[in-house]
Amino acid sequence: MSPPMRPRVEQVLVVGRDAAVWLSALALHKALARTGVKVRVVEMPSLLTPADVYSAVPSLGALHSLLGLEEAAVLEATRGLPVLGQRFANWSKSKAPFVHGYDTHRITLNDIDFLQFWVKARGEGMKVELDDFSLAVAAAKQGKSAVSRDGDRAELPLSSGYHLDARAYVDLLRRTALQAGIEGRGADVGSVQRDGDRIVSVTLTDGMTVQADLFIDASGPAAVLASGAPDAPFESWRQWFSADRILVAEAPRLKPLPAFSQIAAFPAGWVGLYPLKDRTALVAVYDSRTMSDQAVLDALPVLTGLPLTGEAAVEDFHPGARPPWTGNCIAIGPAAVSLEPLDAIQLHLIHTGLSNLIALFPAEAEALPEAEAYNRAMASHLANIRDFLITHYALNKRFDEPVWDRARDMMLPEKLQARLRVFAARGRVPLYDDESFQQQNWAQILIGHGLIPASYDPMVDTVPVEEQMGKVRGLLSRIAEEVQLMPVLDTEFGAG
Amino acid sequence: MNKPLEIVIVGGGTAGWMSAAGLVGVLKPDQVKVRLVESDDIGTVGVGEATLPQMREFNDRIGIVESDMMRKTNATFKLGIEFRDWGFKGSSYVHPFGAHGRPLGGVGFHHQWTRARLAGRAADIGDYSYAITASRRNRFDFPATDKTAVNSTYDYAYHFDAGLYARYLRGWCEARGLTRTEGKVMEVRLDPTSGDVAAIVLESGEVITGDLFIDCSGFRGLIIGGALNGPFEDWTRWLPCDRALAVPTERSEDFTPYTRSTALEAGWQWRIPLQHRTGNGYVYSSSFISDDEAITRLMGNLDGAPLMDPKPIRFKSGRRTASWTRNCIAVGLASGFLEPLESTSIYLTQVAVLTLLDLLPRRPIDPVLAEEFNRVVDNEYDRVRDFLILHYKANNRTDSELWRHCREMEVPDTLREKMALFGHRGHIAQYKDGLFSPPSWLSVFVGQGVLPTGYHPMADSLPLPAVLEEMEALRTRISDRVDAMPSHADFVRDYCAGEAPLKAMGAGA
Repeated sequence: MSPPMRPRVEQVLVVGRDAAVWLSALALHKALARTGVKVRVVEMPSLLTPADVYSAVPSLGALHSLLGLEEAAVLEATRGLPVLGQRFANWSKSKAPFVHGYDTHRITLNDIDFLQFWVKARGEGMKVELDDFSLAVAAAKQGKSAVSRDGDRAELPLSSGYHLDARAYVDLLRRTALQAGIEGRGADVGSVQRDGDRIVSVTLTDGMTVQADLFIDASGPAAVLASGAPDAPFESWRQWFSADRILVAEAPRLKPLPAFSQIAAFPAGWVGLYPLKDRTALVAVYDSRTMSDQAVLDALPVLTGLPLTGEAAVEDFHPGARPPWTGNCIAIGPAAVSLEPLDAIQLHLIHTGLSNLIALFPAEAEALPEAEAYNRAMASHLANIRDFLITHYALNKRFDEPVWDRARDMMLPEKLQARLRVFAARGRVPLYDDESFQQQNWAQILIGHGLIPASYDPMVDTVPVEEQMGKVRGLLSRIAEEVQLMPVLDTEFGAG
Repeated sequence: MNKPLEIVIVGGGTAGWMSAAGLVGVLKPDQVKVRLVESDDIGTVGVGEATLPQMREFNDRIGIVESDMMRKTNATFKLGIEFRDWGFKGSSYVHPFGAHGRPLGGVGFHHQWTRARLAGRAADIGDYSYAITASRRNRFDFPATDKTAVNSTYDYAYHFDAGLYARYLRGWCEARGLTRTEGKVMEVRLDPTSGDVAAIVLESGEVITGDLFIDCSGFRGLIIGGALNGPFEDWTRWLPCDRALAVPTERSEDFTPYTRSTALEAGWQWRIPLQHRTGNGYVYSSSFISDDEAITRLMGNLDGAPLMDPKPIRFKSGRRTASWTRNCIAVGLASGFLEPLESTSIYLTQVAVLTLLDLLPRRPIDPVLAEEFNRVVDNEYDRVRDFLILHYKANNRTDSELWRHCREMEVPDTLREKMALFGHRGHIAQYKDGLFSPPSWLSVFVGQGVLPTGYHPMADSLPLPAVLEEMEALRTRISDRVDAMPSHADFVRDYCAGEAPLKAMGAGA
């Protein structure tokens, strides 16, 4: 009665390095091992240095849950910290820094976005900043943590991002994967055997040739499998991101531990300061035509106020993306898309690639109509994330510095222009399909960078003024109480 | 406080009165001054109208009490739409307001259903849907609030008399201070320098000025299409029907908690049960049947005595390129037309009204608000369009030219890819905004014969016997629970009996 089943994908070969290779292997194994899919790994030599850090937005916690990784265990193994947001400093020469806090909900009063009340009150002379109405920001500023050392967390409308020591994190992932029964082999890729747009097998530098039905390229920007695919050109995003270098360095640990990352702009780009339990990771992303590597390295202690320890490392960087799925090969993470780590999105990009791949994991091995839908969905996700990053540059107020003057004047992607126009008019952020960042995230950075809506929603005026004031006071005191009850990050995670 | 924004609504009917009710119900009199101009000479079609569950959000938002509204509009409940003879002659499926089963083994229920079907072990997909099972047995009750209960897995909407609904909203608005002006619009005056609408002039000579004009004048789009000459995007190449005939009949025995749509040779026939009568109509393509033949076909296909002669309606499928142009917003049929196959007309009106409330302008009107309004409204129209086209494209009827034509027509790329991916592996992408979530697509795909040849491989993580057992248990649980529901007729009589129906149906207390 039933038609014969067409051949299934049974063998998946994940080729790559660092977080991308092991997250891919673990996620696919977790989703599909029980259905008979075998996932194998070729782990290429790491590009990480001891200074490297992964800074992650809160979505990483959801990925870890899926993979069976306990939050407390991850933090312990990676000397990591849970953080409540990112503080943006010096993006304007005249304006105070602001924090993009990881609130999980936008605040509403009578079903109206709180932002609208704030815009009105500000127009009438109120001086309180928008981020003072954010629980995550208030908690971040007071060095609090949403999670205790043991992994307990209170039910609050905020979530934690993470700072993880990159090499320790990869070690943890590798261990977890091997324990789960995934076969791994350390080698580099020698050659790739293709048949049209499909990969037949990969020959490793140790002489071994591996065949599979489906190949995952998690090799980083080199994209050792995907870059050889016909008709899958890399699209450069250089017109929106002038930085061409990423430098990583280390500094001593901070005391007490701050509960946020700091992203500080400087004449050639920005430097991120990421507290870990036992050290502070520094990442500078900059335009090397404006400042040389050495000049940046020399400037770091001044820019961060911290002495450097250990070795610094520099790599070239080219922003852009390629169609991730061609033939039977899917590029995941930095093999598919290069974006600077401005909004802690490196691991999120891997996560997004994987969750879309699992949703569209091929129903059969030969015909792969999923590729078209996957590429379109990913392009849409990536464009939204990219636009979020561009927004920081586009709204900077560092006048009379060539890198920053150009960023303010650049031609923006059309959808981003529309977002900014609508927000500037009415404080509403148009959201499209496939968004990673939500209304509250957009509003925080837009207001933080000084884009203040020209008008507010007239619906605000349907709420009596006394009721508005009462609710605003109530909101501030509730935030103060909730923050009061949260544990102190340094007490929970400080090394003593 | 500034002077209130003066809003002039041109045209009554459902669109006009919903716009008025939204503005008056939500905003304060010192914010907007709303005036509605309509003419009693311009009649409404006055047949039944079917809605979608989103309508309840609209009523809640402005503060309308359901039972009161239902009594005064002779309303009935609606759990979905039955499609007869669509996939092929003799077929029947229901597009329900609700889910088919629950996720099993980390994948959507329908993947397991496909797996069971390929093994020759699945029942009709409707048996796993609460809303469909209740529809098939003419039952109704409110969904349970306990989200774990099997009878919480559906939603409902209404059938009502659209003319009575407009009248109901009118009374509701007038009680809240809205000014209604009787009269025909003879002229629309534009400001010679800005090009904005400055005023409308009535037959009486009265000149009505305003800051914002809402064009609810129906198909002709008096302001948006007439005075402002806004372009119209024509979708006839995908949706060939361009005419309809509407005729009410006496209430019949078959008191369904769902709308029925029956495919005919040159279009399709609707059937909408109200308390006091049944609304019927034939939507057809004039390229494939003459008006006279259409009348004969409709009148020969009714299940009750007609209460009047069929009323002809002409239309063109498509939408305005920009519903909000300058200081004029087209709402309802003036902004576009999609045949009532999926009861989307009131929903699209509702989207326009609620989006306007979200983006309510001040003087002078910021064109950026119009841009955002049009983005939201266009997106809704475009997604409904693709869903409607699917009904025509995915057919296996061989009995007439219309269906052959539709089967062979080119469809928009967005739809072509969706059909291919569903056929290959049952995948349905979820979009963020816009009507019709995956369960809706699923019911139409499967109902019209687009059956997946594969399924998500993760489905195999559960052994087939365990899945079959779970499916069978669900089917039984649904069936038993539905049997305990009251009949639709009893439920309506007890909850919201209208003033007219008992007399008209000649039965009951």
